[in-house]
Parts: sequence; structure tokens; C-alpha cells
Amino acid sequence: MIPTEELRKYEVFADLDPTELKFLSNMAETTQAREGEVLIRAGLPARTLYILKQGGLMVAFPDGRAITFHKPGRVVGWSALVSPTCYTASVTCLTDCTLIALSGSELLRLVQRNVAVGTKIMRKISEVLSRRLPFLREEDKRRLRDGR
Amino acid sequence: MGGLSAISAGNGWLIAALGISVVFFGLASLAVVISYFPRAIGWWNANVQTPQRIVPTIKSLFSRRERKAALPAAKGDSHEAGELGDVEEALRLITAHMGEPFKLPRLIEVAEQRGLARVHSTVDRMLVRGTMVGGPDGLFRWAKAGATERPSQTE
Repeated sequence: MIPTEELRKYEVFADLDPTELKFLSNMAETTQAREGEVLIRAGLPARTLYILKQGGLMVAFPDGRAITFHKPGRVVGWSALVSPTCYTASVTCLTDCTLIALSGSELLRLVQRNVAVGTKIMRKISEVLSRRLPFLREEDKRRLRDGR
Repeated sequence: MGGLSAISAGNGWLIAALGISVVFFGLASLAVVISYFPRAIGWWNANVQTPQRIVPTIKSLFSRRERKAALPAAKGDSHEAGELGDVEEALRLITAHMGEPFKLPRLIEVAEQRGLARVHSTVDRMLVRGTMVGGPDGLFRWAKAGATERPSQTE
């Protein structure tokens, strides 16, 4: 469980009110990952969405291109919320990292049950997705379009 | 002669006690081994399933130069300036072969294959310092002398 005050600091949850944050607070967990650890592997089923709390991450796309994150609040593993829920890039820790992990299935359930929360979260996820879209393979873009 | 007296005459009680002891110690040993399974599985998950972490450790055991680089890391998170410079120099040599701009995951892979220690954190420090910069195309370059600003793709 993560305090709602902490979750509110992250851009992806900035629009949520305290009551809505409480739902997320119960399902969020802090997790640690070591330098060099592969947090997410491209092509595997997407089960967890991570928010960077501390450290450095490298998001590597299948064609070898990459982007790196150092600022707290960056989201990786958005595929856990978007059909066909399959990771499109690999994420490796450049340093020892502290992350907030959210189960994709629990988050999807919340999004489906609570329209207000769902709309706010999915709007932020679509912003993340739009930034990553140029790096995705045509095959992944097609899958996202078709939802399978 | 038969029954209990036959058992006694044939050392049956001793043999039975010996049998019970053998089975008891066998099962006790098995229980001890099984009780260590969670630790062994934990170690396996933490190290063997992520070879990126164990390979440099193993390599450092056999390489004097790498052991020297790995030791400060065990004490804390600080790189000696000279060691960072060595790894940076090695990375520059690798990219000289790869050409610029280069693919960062490939650079890290090649550097690890060549046995460089703590490539990930070295790359991270170079990105934070602005020595290495990521472009909007997802490819990376070395910063020109004097340039230290943070690139757009290093968020």
C-alpha cells in the first residue's frame, strides 16, 4: 500500500481526487530492482505497470532504439492497460531502482468499474503512449489498432 | 526355536533399531535439504535468472582489472573518477567501431561481452552528466566538448 499523498505527486495520478487515489493506494506496492535487471521483456504478456520513484531506466525497443528515464513519475509498462496487453519494449534498470508497481488486471478492473477514475488514468496513459508511438514497430501499432 | 526368542537369537532387535536409525537419519537429512530450498530458489531468482548481474561478477573473479573496478561498487554506490574514466574510454572505443549515432542497448551488450564492469550505472552517470546524449530518434551520441545540457530523450 502506498500513501495517497505520495501517489498524488506523480503526473499520471495528478488529476485524481483523494477518494479516487485511495482505490489506487490499496493496490500499489513499492518494489526494488537492481542495476542491470530486466524489469520488462518485449513480447511477454503485460501484467504490471511501473512508476519510477528513484533511479534510472532504459526502455529498449525491438529495433535497438532506446529512451532513458531519470525523473520520478515516469511510467513504464503501459501495455498492461492496453489490449493486446503484451509489452512492446524491454525495460532495464540502469541503476538500482525503486518503483511503484500496479497490477494491470486490478487496474483494468478499477478502470472498468469506475468511469471517472478510468477516464483520468486512461487519458494520462494515452499521453504516455503518444510519446512512445514513434518508437513502436508497425506490427505493434497494427496490434494496438486491432486490439489483438 | 521361533517367535521372539528367534528374533533375539538372530540379532533381530539390533538390526531393527539400526534400520529405524538409518531411515530416521535419511529423512532428517532430506528435511534439512528441503528446508534450504526457499533460499536456493531465492538465490537462483536473484542471480542466475538475470545473467546480466552474475556474469560481470563471475568475470570479475577472473580478471584483475575488473576486480579492481568492482570492489568500490560493493562498498557503496560510488565510482572512482579514474575507473569511470576507464569505462568511458572503453565505451568510446566500442562506439568508434559501431559509429555514431549508436544504439544504446547494443553498446551495453557489447561492453558486457567485453567484460566491462558496471556498464549500466556508468552509462547512467554519463547520461545524467550529459557526456552521452539521446536523440529524439532513440539513438545516442557523445556530447560535443563543453555541451552538458540534458537531451530531450533522457527524461
